[in-house]
Amino acid sequence: MKSWNPESVQNVLGRTKYIDDLPEPAGLLHGQPVVSKSAHGKLLSLDASAALALHPSVRVLTARDIPGENELGTAVSDEPLLVADEWTYRGQSLALVLADTRSLARRAAALVKIEGEELPVVTDPREARAKGMIILAPRTMRMGDPEAAFRDCAVVVSGRVESGGQEHVYLETQGATAQVRDGGGIFVLSGTQSPTGVQEAVARNLGLPMNAVEVDAPRLGGAFGGKEDQAAGWSALAALGAFVTGRPVKIYLNRKDDLTFTGKRHPYSSDYKLGLDAEGRILAFEVDYYQNSGACTDLSPAILSRTLFHAAGAYRIPNLRATGYMCRTNLPPFTAFRGFGAPQGIFVMEAALHKAAEAMGVDPIELQRKNLLRTGDSFHYGMPVEEARTERSVERALERSAWDRKRTEIDEFNRTRRDRKRGMAALPLCFGVSFTKLMMNQGGALVHVYRDGSVGVHTGAVEMGQGVNRKIQKVVALTLGIPEARVRIERTRTATVANTSPTAASTGTDLNGMAALVACEEIGKRLSAFRSESGLGDAPWETLVSKAHEARVDLSAHGFYATPGLFYDGKAERGSPFAYHVYGCAVLTAEVDVIRGTYRIDSATLVHDAGNMIDEVVDRGQAEGALAQGLGWALLEDLRYDGTGKLLSDTLSTYKLPDAHFLDFPLDLEFLADAPNPKAVLKSKAIGEPPFMYGIAGYFAVLDALKAARGDRLRVPGFHDLPLTPEKALDYLSGVIP
Amino acid sequence: MKRRLVFRVNERLVDAEAWEETLALDWLRRELGLTGTKEGCREGDCGACLVLLGERGEAGPVWKAVPSCLLALGELDGRHVVTIEGIAAAGLTPVMEAFLDQGASQCGFCSPGFIVALTAFLVEGRIDPVRTLVSIEGNLCRCTGYGSIRRAADRLTKDFADLPRDLGARLAVLGKRGVLPPSLAALMTSLPEPGSRPAAAPEGLNLGGGTDWFVRNPDPEPGTGVAFTDRQAGLGRIERTGDFLSVGAAVTVRAFFEDLLVRAHAPGIEAFEAQMASLPIRNRATLAGNVVNASPIADMTALLLALDARARLRSASGTRDLPLADFFLGYKKTALRDGEFLEALLLPAAAGPVRLNFEKVSKRESLDIATANTALALRTEEDRISWARLSVGGMAPVPLAARAASEYLVGKIPDAATAREAARLALQDCSPLSDVRGSAGYRTRLLERLVLAHFVRLFPDRGLLEEFWP
Repeated sequence: MKSWNPESVQNVLGRTKYIDDLPEPAGLLHGQPVVSKSAHGKLLSLDASAALALHPSVRVLTARDIPGENELGTAVSDEPLLVADEWTYRGQSLALVLADTRSLARRAAALVKIEGEELPVVTDPREARAKGMIILAPRTMRMGDPEAAFRDCAVVVSGRVESGGQEHVYLETQGATAQVRDGGGIFVLSGTQSPTGVQEAVARNLGLPMNAVEVDAPRLGGAFGGKEDQAAGWSALAALGAFVTGRPVKIYLNRKDDLTFTGKRHPYSSDYKLGLDAEGRILAFEVDYYQNSGACTDLSPAILSRTLFHAAGAYRIPNLRATGYMCRTNLPPFTAFRGFGAPQGIFVMEAALHKAAEAMGVDPIELQRKNLLRTGDSFHYGMPVEEARTERSVERALERSAWDRKRTEIDEFNRTRRDRKRGMAALPLCFGVSFTKLMMNQGGALVHVYRDGSVGVHTGAVEMGQGVNRKIQKVVALTLGIPEARVRIERTRTATVANTSPTAASTGTDLNGMAALVACEEIGKRLSAFRSESGLGDAPWETLVSKAHEARVDLSAHGFYATPGLFYDGKAERGSPFAYHVYGCAVLTAEVDVIRGTYRIDSATLVHDAGNMIDEVVDRGQAEGALAQGLGWALLEDLRYDGTGKLLSDTLSTYKLPDAHFLDFPLDLEFLADAPNPKAVLKSKAIGEPPFMYGIAGYFAVLDALKAARGDRLRVPGFHDLPLTPEKALDYLSGVIP
Repeated sequence: MKRRLVFRVNERLVDAEAWEETLALDWLRRELGLTGTKEGCREGDCGACLVLLGERGEAGPVWKAVPSCLLALGELDGRHVVTIEGIAAAGLTPVMEAFLDQGASQCGFCSPGFIVALTAFLVEGRIDPVRTLVSIEGNLCRCTGYGSIRRAADRLTKDFADLPRDLGARLAVLGKRGVLPPSLAALMTSLPEPGSRPAAAPEGLNLGGGTDWFVRNPDPEPGTGVAFTDRQAGLGRIERTGDFLSVGAAVTVRAFFEDLLVRAHAPGIEAFEAQMASLPIRNRATLAGNVVNASPIADMTALLLALDARARLRSASGTRDLPLADFFLGYKKTALRDGEFLEALLLPAAAGPVRLNFEKVSKRESLDIATANTALALRTEEDRISWARLSVGGMAPVPLAARAASEYLVGKIPDAATAREAARLALQDCSPLSDVRGSAGYRTRLLERLVLAHFVRLFPDRGLLEEFWP
């Protein structure tokens, strides 16, 4: 058998068991949340009599049944597990219905009568800010003196930028099964990226110590950040049901419920001002981000900080002020999604630069190239730029995409064609790797070498398709010097590796792979000492292990890794919050149908810095998949709420994500050669999030084509309101968008 | 209702009394424990629940990939369902190996659906690169961006370029080459006898492909009276009857576009197939279902209105014919009376073939509901339009036959002024809404352009493009 990813083999055979595929334990109850039907209201009464009358198995649990603290919020306590008095978004859980079958539970939930008093609804972040509905305090990062620097600028542009939310559409929806354990504890099988987070939430809600709660995370059918904080509620509800009834409880949301109840990528509305000298060098940048945080704090503070850290994109900006406001609205709490605030910040920076290019009548690529970060520069948060691969990536991408020739061809095409116009754009990338919350940058592993020489590895990493298990398998095999097939990666459980950070922020392999490596080195040290003591010479691995066991050598080890060198002074907004940065560049071309306002991406060239790759197949898949999601966010995925906080795009027939036709264009991906990264495991670099940003080039490539349709593409004003849907494209072509 | 159903699932014959309206997806997962078939959306949009369905064709079984979330158990009577478990019964297949070589399975939740889609592609045996992509157009993957999946599919296209045309021979080759377990491949050449006969004159709900009904009724209550048009004799045919081309109620969208009579009547019509739903949906959705569903934005209805279709409605007392334009009374309201069902759509064909164009814009180009759509069919004599029918969708509570515009066009030279006037007249009938697919203003701007686009496409030598977009 070839060296395929063993878990992928199970996937294609259809044998991987996701939460809803596992055999159901005897006595299982199905849980269905009863949710608020409006976006803001005071709960006056909840009448469960009709639901209870439906079937003898029906139980209805409310906030009063929660034995511990009725709270899910970790940063700020503003998210009850079940609403006791006031709901703040549509789809918020008010009660939990349990019944013998899923369909009974759903029907019973629909019979629970809610009476409430409607309260005013705010969905717009700027309106929320104007009304003082802000979470925590505004946060500002600053470098130099932008106010003074603007006075020296030859060109100053300003504008407003909008970016929409994005639904995760993990193909497997949210779910969990909970069971009471012998001894009074709770066992939860949770579809989560954060087993420890779930463990903590369940313990808190049930009033149990953490050691009474065991959480297992099986392989997830996709997550993308959507199961980082937001898996906790469903697991905690299942646990509550099991705790109260003593029977196993499963909650598994259907697609429509999942779309309606859960949070998504944050929409942002932003104002910027950018100043440049006559040569096009950026001198000053000011930006205010109005983050639509939704109704609860969730991960918004950490997400906002990543926006602020990425305010300057891949550019050197000597004078900068970036301020972020977390605006509380009556929408489901927006949450982590691949990129975690960085895409929103980078889009504003690019929009500003493109606006400046219009003002100067130059191609945006000239300004992009002129202002790239270089080694020795300093980020606006005080961290020196080490080994910048920005210019290298950009120059290579321009060369590989034959930028100059293509530009000429496109201009010629646009001169001769009326019905179609083409465009092109680049996106230079600089993305910081590490959790922006310092304490989270730690990972643990437990490695067992069994006495037959096979190896079992437990880490805090959750496999959700990103290939972290495959990479850790390779790290372990390489470190111990054994074939990959001898190494098995176990599913993630809090009882074997404790106090884990969520598998997020692209750090899954960096933290957990390194922890596994540390554990393997420890075992390797013991074995090599034993080898020399016992005179085993070059005896094979299996013999060595078996003899070592006979000689009572410990064949298990726990490994721990905390990313070194990180520090941050939150007051001064200065420090070194990232282990390293990932660089790269995308060049995308697009073609617009001028009659119909539709468009296609024609080609993509990516040059990406992945360090020394542990597994190229995994990294290629991550880069391609991230670009796809980025393009979806930039162009296609249209998350819509109405003014009352009702989600309009609440099915996959109204919320469209990229399909195979949408992404049917040649994609040329080159990983930067000779680019080892001394800061991460086996000199690799994190891959999950950074290539998402390349989707932004898709926005500007389509916009470039649209501008060509309206006149002199170098001078026609563009617009920066993402996603760039066919509706906006046609509105722009027909002048409705000026 | 509850009936005796006899069908095959993978290599096993099922003979059971069962509720017909149970969804095949639920039944496969819960009753048989075949959990490789996944529920991703329960509305036919993601393909995670695809199964291979074998049904009776003119010359033996016909195999297609269909979404099991929109498939009633009652539909399976006398048929054969192959799930991922059946395909994988003997271990990895070349389709799976191509996936593994390319790393085309990440989280894996969508993988079984893709494997089924590509296996269906090989079983159908019409291998070319365009069809390769079409074969997976009904599957969503959120992880890969499809690059690795396309590379895997392209390899299969090369490796299986020369499959035999005959189904039996093809299945034998696929069995030998491990695409299917040989024992399963052998079973797939014939279908079991159904367990019950459908009622001659079914009462109550008479379901076509169910691709819309099950979206609106995702948890059908046991006991919902359901009859299936494709289990009734004769409804699956397209034939010339007198002056009409008769399209039976059970004719699927796919069968319609593949039909030679249809293609002769409206040359080039097959080009529009790609704009209708996705292949797995086209495999199941019927034209009649599209019509009775009465969605103002139905794509096939827009085509049928331009083709001047009549609806033949049957009841116990006989049939009556109605111009399709008169069939729609209001939003989702039709002229169907109690006890009546749409038996066929009749396309007038006495005057010979028509020239046809269809325009649709949606957020996503494929498998998406239109923001607006329109079709124009016409005949010309010399350089004048002698007959025309223009239809408009998404612009009113019902699908519109733009009568004033159609009448206006007769006798006109198809120049820019004519096109503009037709668009103006068409818009007079419209009262678009703003919704998640677009604002009323956008719809209006869009429709005007789409009507002009008809003329640009149908009369490419008249320099209209230059006039409209100088």
